[in-house]
Amino acid sequence: MRNWLVGLLIVGFVSVFGCQPPDKNTSETQTKVQKELKVAVAAPYTGGSAAFGEMIRRGAELRENEINEAGGINGMKLTLLFEDDAGKPSEASLVAERIANNPQILAVVGHFNSDCSLAGQEIYDRAGIVELSPGSTAVEVCEGSSWTFRNLYHDGFQGKFIAQYLDNVLTGIESVAVFFDNDAYGRGLRNAFVAEAEKIGLTLVASEAYERDSTNFKAQLTSIKAKNPDAIFISGLYTEASLIVKQGREAGITAQFFGADGVDSPDFLTIAGSAAEGTYLTTPFTFGAGGAEAQQMAADFEALHGVAPDTWAALTYDAVGMIQDALTKTYNAEATIADNRQAIREHLASLDTPEESYKGVTGLTYFDINGDTVNKPAYVKIVKDGQFVAAEKQLRELK
Amino acid sequence: MAQLLEQFINGLVLGGIYALIAVGYTMVYGIIQLINFAHGEIFMFGAYLALMLVTVFNIPFWIAVPASMLLCAMLGMLIDLVAYRPLRDAPRLSALITAIGISLVLQNLARMIWSARPQLFPTETLPAFLISEVNMQTGEILNAIPLPGGGILPYRDVSILLLAVVLMIALNRLIYLTKIGKAMRACAQNRVASNLMGIKTNQVIAVTFAIGSALGAVAGIMVGLSENITPTMGYYKGVAAFAAAVLGGIGNITGAMLGGIIIGLAEVFGAGYISSGYRLAIAYIIMIAVIVIRPSGLFGKSTANRA
Repeated sequence: MRNWLVGLLIVGFVSVFGCQPPDKNTSETQTKVQKELKVAVAAPYTGGSAAFGEMIRRGAELRENEINEAGGINGMKLTLLFEDDAGKPSEASLVAERIANNPQILAVVGHFNSDCSLAGQEIYDRAGIVELSPGSTAVEVCEGSSWTFRNLYHDGFQGKFIAQYLDNVLTGIESVAVFFDNDAYGRGLRNAFVAEAEKIGLTLVASEAYERDSTNFKAQLTSIKAKNPDAIFISGLYTEASLIVKQGREAGITAQFFGADGVDSPDFLTIAGSAAEGTYLTTPFTFGAGGAEAQQMAADFEALHGVAPDTWAALTYDAVGMIQDALTKTYNAEATIADNRQAIREHLASLDTPEESYKGVTGLTYFDINGDTVNKPAYVKIVKDGQFVAAEKQLRELK
Repeated sequence: MAQLLEQFINGLVLGGIYALIAVGYTMVYGIIQLINFAHGEIFMFGAYLALMLVTVFNIPFWIAVPASMLLCAMLGMLIDLVAYRPLRDAPRLSALITAIGISLVLQNLARMIWSARPQLFPTETLPAFLISEVNMQTGEILNAIPLPGGGILPYRDVSILLLAVVLMIALNRLIYLTKIGKAMRACAQNRVASNLMGIKTNQVIAVTFAIGSALGAVAGIMVGLSENITPTMGYYKGVAAFAAAVLGGIGNITGAMLGGIIIGLAEVFGAGYISSGYRLAIAYIIMIAVIVIRPSGLFGKSTANRA
């Protein structure tokens, strides 16, 4: 009897509150409940490059908050979907399929690791959705697909830059060794570096590889030590680079260590400890070189997350901003998802001169025919007293 | 020449660590014919527990090492009690799958507790002689013995090698000279008959797990001294150590020790002289070559009575 009564009550409630006639307040909901615009942010939130992913997520969240607090995109709310590729190409393919097949996602900010961007490239290309990477620098990431873009330099430039910096700016460097990660990023950067080093007359005495997720580098470091180079260029990510620097100093190597943007993470400092001291590295952006907007963004970031932003947070902040800009100008609620995805691509592709560029905290971003960013500079940082600081001498122009 | 000597020491240190882990695989296999895939995770817990003891509880390093060994011994026994003992008479495949499951559970537990971020023993928590670092101005190296020809031998590596040798000898004595050792050998020969002779086989198995886990914990701490401590460290080192156990002849303790040294040396010499990108591959090729020629491993008995 009581069950029967409860049942009746439930039915009553559902019919009163749940089944209101649909036409009663549709017009109200349409203006009140905004339509959501969904953009995926694909990065390594777990795994060996998780420290990068964390900064990417935070940078994206800051931008998302700012956009939505300012009323969204033409009144529509921006929702970011964080997709974890764990820094592995195999995971990245799965993530890319999931994103490409989701008819609500308009564009992708990501991936971070070059291998992951490449794994996604073909899938995004087939589905016709923009892949805008805030971190992949391997040369081939933007080649061969009209849907891939990045808002930072590529390794053809970075490798050349590092070789010239070692030769022209630092003194007493004549012989160099390369210790590289055996993946698309590490190999590509090594090739660019080695080509330039040979051209300008640096002697390459050793070129050793390591596999991602290795933790013991003593055998290779002992080989490198025997060749006695003046500088060792680590072409890889902070996870391994921090241990290489640490184990290298333990093994008695006094050579100058030089890293690239893959080393640019606060975790490099915590793992390598005092061995990190004096290590040089290149980076696509540093807050010291940014304008007032960059300082404002850094302050807002710290207020939201309680930590200072890094290069990747800033580049992601800009990448989300670029998608926002494209959506503001092109999004048409009546059009199909394919048309809207296409419109974003056309907008990004139209940013092709300094005048027609996106102005973000990391500087002006505009693309060449491949979707590669043109004319964004590289900066050099050095580890001093356990902190990254801008190196005294920067290299402005490449020869 | 100096490089050769230094590489040889690198290989011995790595091999000693592999040997300590491999012993844990081989002892358990010898007694219950189970490949304990969770052993690599116990090795990882050994490193994390010692790290917790020195950083969170501020316990001196030299107390944290035996404490972590003790905790891991208990963890090993607990895993046996909860996961393997109920399956003692089940088909062997069930226990094997359970082992893989336990391995995944422990790995993800570590990820939940300590996050996936790599950690290291903070320098200030370690005894000073374990930290060797080059003086950038003079090129002098602290806490290391200079080798002829310009190489160096850090005190830390000496300590790791000495401790590994001492533990190996102690284990050997334990197995051949004590009553529990005799019981373990008896169980390895025939568990049912041992039981009939009045040996409490479940207790013997628990002790086997405890010893193997304690040795694994020491190896974990040794790795943590110069490499990262991560939730997946047990997988990478565990696979290499398992290869060492198979190479030596699984079930044979001396074989596991030597197998560990051989894999360690092969890995380092492969990386140092052949191709650095394939250091693990080279170690595995050697293992496969040995297994092809001697299917029971270097020291394994070629009898088929275990089946």
